[in-house]
Amino acid sequence: MDLHLSSEQTLLRDSAAKFIGAAGPKVARGFRQKDPSFSQARLKEAGELGWLGMLVPTSADGLGLGLTELALVLEQAGRGLVCEPIGFAAISAAALAQGHAPHPMLEKATSGDALIVPALQENAHGTDLLVPRTQASGANGSLRVTGTKSFVCADGADGFLVSASGSDGPALYYVARDAAGCSFSATQTVDGRKLATLTLDNTPADFVPPRQSSRNAVEALTDLVLIALSAELLGVMAKAQEITFDYLRFRRQFGKPIGSFQALQHKAVDIYTRTEVIRSLLYQVAANNDPYRIDPALAVAVKAKASEDALFVTQACIQLHGAIGFTDEHDIGLYLKRAMLLSSLFGNAAAQRRRYVEIADLIE
Amino acid sequence: MFRHDSPAEAEFRQEVRTWLDASLPLSLRGRATRPPPEELMPWYRTLSKKGWVAPHWPKECGGMGATLNEQIMMSEELARVGAPQLAAQGLNHIGPILIEFGNEKQKAQHLPPIIEGSVIWAQGYSEPGAGSDLASLQTRATLNGDHFVVRGQKIWTTWGHHSDWMFALVRTDPQAQPHHAGISFLLLDLHSPGITVRPITTIAGDDEFSEVFFDDVVVPAKNLVGRLNDGWRIANALLGHERLSTSNPQYAMMALDRIKTMARVSGVMADAAFRDRLAAACINVTALSALFSHAVELTNQKRSPGPESSIIKIFGSELLQSLNELLIEASGGHATALEPVATAFGEVDVSTSYFQSRRVTIYGGSSEIQRNVVARRVLNLPNN
Repeated sequence: MDLHLSSEQTLLRDSAAKFIGAAGPKVARGFRQKDPSFSQARLKEAGELGWLGMLVPTSADGLGLGLTELALVLEQAGRGLVCEPIGFAAISAAALAQGHAPHPMLEKATSGDALIVPALQENAHGTDLLVPRTQASGANGSLRVTGTKSFVCADGADGFLVSASGSDGPALYYVARDAAGCSFSATQTVDGRKLATLTLDNTPADFVPPRQSSRNAVEALTDLVLIALSAELLGVMAKAQEITFDYLRFRRQFGKPIGSFQALQHKAVDIYTRTEVIRSLLYQVAANNDPYRIDPALAVAVKAKASEDALFVTQACIQLHGAIGFTDEHDIGLYLKRAMLLSSLFGNAAAQRRRYVEIADLIE
Repeated sequence: MFRHDSPAEAEFRQEVRTWLDASLPLSLRGRATRPPPEELMPWYRTLSKKGWVAPHWPKECGGMGATLNEQIMMSEELARVGAPQLAAQGLNHIGPILIEFGNEKQKAQHLPPIIEGSVIWAQGYSEPGAGSDLASLQTRATLNGDHFVVRGQKIWTTWGHHSDWMFALVRTDPQAQPHHAGISFLLLDLHSPGITVRPITTIAGDDEFSEVFFDDVVVPAKNLVGRLNDGWRIANALLGHERLSTSNPQYAMMALDRIKTMARVSGVMADAAFRDRLAAACINVTALSALFSHAVELTNQKRSPGPESSIIKIFGSELLQSLNELLIEASGGHATALEPVATAFGEVDVSTSYFQSRRVTIYGGSSEIQRNVVARRVLNLPNN
C-alpha cells in the first residue's frame, strides 16, 4: 500500500532512488572481495546529499530528520544493493552529535570524509547488545576499553562506536581505528563484503554521551540499528519480488507464461503480503517513534519480522526462478545473500524473539 | 498501538467506554458464540435508542455520521467490553447498499426498521453450486408483469432462520455472458409463501447458518434494487470497507490474552519453545495493527483502501486462525473441554473460539480466492 508522505519526504525518496540508479547488482558484484568493498567517493556523495547528517540535530549542522526519512533512504539502499554503509554512518554521526559539545569526529562523519561504524555485538546472536562484556575503565580524558567485538562492519572504517560496561553500567565510547591496542581480523561475507572481529586491549577511548531523551546511549543506538537494518531488508525484499514478478510474466512453459499458474500465483501473493506487512510495520513504527527513544518492543518486533520474512521472500524468489535462480550469473541470488547478512546482524529473528520475551514480560 | 486519539476523540472514547460498562448486560459479555435473537436483539435496541447502533450510516438515515476513526473506536470499545457481534447483515450490508443504490421508497420502507432493530435481514448470495464461483449462481427470478417468480436455493445464510427479509443475488438472464452480467439484486420477504428455511449446525455447535429454499415465490418487481442485471456491481461496490472493518486487530489482541491466560494456567509458559512461538504471535499482532492503521490512514485520505487491502483479509484471518491454534497448544488437556474453562483469571472458551476461527479464512471470499484476486488485480499476473 502507498505511504502517505510529505512533499519533502517524497523528494528525499526520489533523490535516493536516483542515487541507486548508479548502484545495483552489477556494481555490487564489482565490489566483491575488493578492499574496501565499497566506493569512498560514493560515501562522500551520500554525505553531500545530507544523508549522513540526516539524524544529526540542526543545532549541530545536521538535517534533524526522523526515522521515516532514515527508512526511506535505506529502503532505497537495500533495493540497489548499495555497498556503502550509509545507515551505519548516519546513525553513528547522530550518536556523535549528542552532549554539550559534539565529538570532534562529527564533521568528518557527516561529510563522509571519515567512516564511523557501531561495534556493539559480541556474540553470534547479539544477546549481549545491552550488557557488553567489554569493560571501560579510567576517568574522562584517560578512558580505556578492553574486550572483543564481533561482526563489525569495519571495512574502510576510521573509527568505532564501542559499547562497554563501566562503573555506571553500559555506555558508548569512540575508538579510533589506529588507536593503541586496537586490532582486528576480517572475514569475507557471503555477499562479498567483510565483517571484522575487533580486539581492544586497554585501548584509549572517548566517552560518547547519550541524548537527554534516551534511556541509555547503547540501547538508543541498538534500537536505531535494528530499524536501519530492517529498512534495508525491506528494500531487498521489494526489489527481489519485482524482479521475480517480471520473470513470472515473461517466462513461458507449457505454452503459457508461468505466472498464469495458480500454484505460482499464490506463492507470489505470499511474497507480496510479507513484503507489504513489513512496509506497514516499519513505517508505522518510524512515524510514531523518536529516533533516540524507540519503543524497544517495536524495534525488536520490526527486526524479528523483517529478518524472517526477507529470508522467506528471497528464498521463494529463487524457487520461482527455477534452475536459473541457482546460478551466480543471475542477480536474484545477490538479494538472498544481502538478506542473509542484514538478517543476522545484531541478532537474527529468533534472537530478536528471545529479547521480545524479556521486554514483553512473557513469563510465568 | 499506532493510532492515537485526538483530545476530542479521547473524550468520545471515554464516553463510549463509560456508557458500555454501565449498559451492556453481564450475561452478554465475552461469549464465543453469538447469542440468539431473544438475548441479542434487546441489546441491539438499547444501542439503537442511544443512537449508536449505526455509527457509519449518515445522520439523515438514522445513523451517527461518525468519522472512520470514531467508527473504529466504537468497534474497539465494543470488543474491549466483550460485546457480542450484532446482526450485521442489515447494518453493514443491505443498509449501506440501499443508501447508495436504493430508491426513495425502498429507503423509507427498509432503513428505519434496521435502525430500530424490528426487522432482521439475511444475505442470500451463496448457493450449493455457487460458493467461491459465486457468479455461476442459478436461483432464477423470472419477471412476470409486476412481479418476479423466484425458484432455487441459497445456503450459508447467516441467521436465515431468524430473519424477516433477505437481500439476494438472483439470475435474471440465464444466457448472459459473462455469467455475472445476468444477475440482479432483489429484496425478498422471508415470510412469503413458498419459502422453507432449514438451520445448519456448525462444527462450533451453533446454528449460525441455514439453507433457504424458494419454491415459486412471488416477489413484487418494486423490490428490485438498481437496474435489472446490475446486481453484481451493486453487491461488490462496498467490499473494500467491509474488509477493513473485519480486520480490526482488537480481536487478535483479545485472542493473545486468552493464550497468555491458558499458558499460565497450564504451566506451558515456563517452556522456552512455547515462549518463542508466543513472541512470534505477539509480533504478528503488532504487524497486523500496523497494517490496519496504515489502511485506515489511506482510507481517510482517499476514501478507499484499494484492492491491495485484500492482503489485510488474508493476513488478518490467517493470523487469527494461527492464534487459535496456539490457544489449543497453550491449553493442553483443557483444549478438549466443550464448555468454557474456569480459571483464576476468568472463563476462557477454548474449543469454541478455536472452532469459530476455522471459518474466518472461508467466509467473505476464501484465502485462496483472495490470493487469486491479488495475483490478478494487484500483481497483474496473467490469466490462465
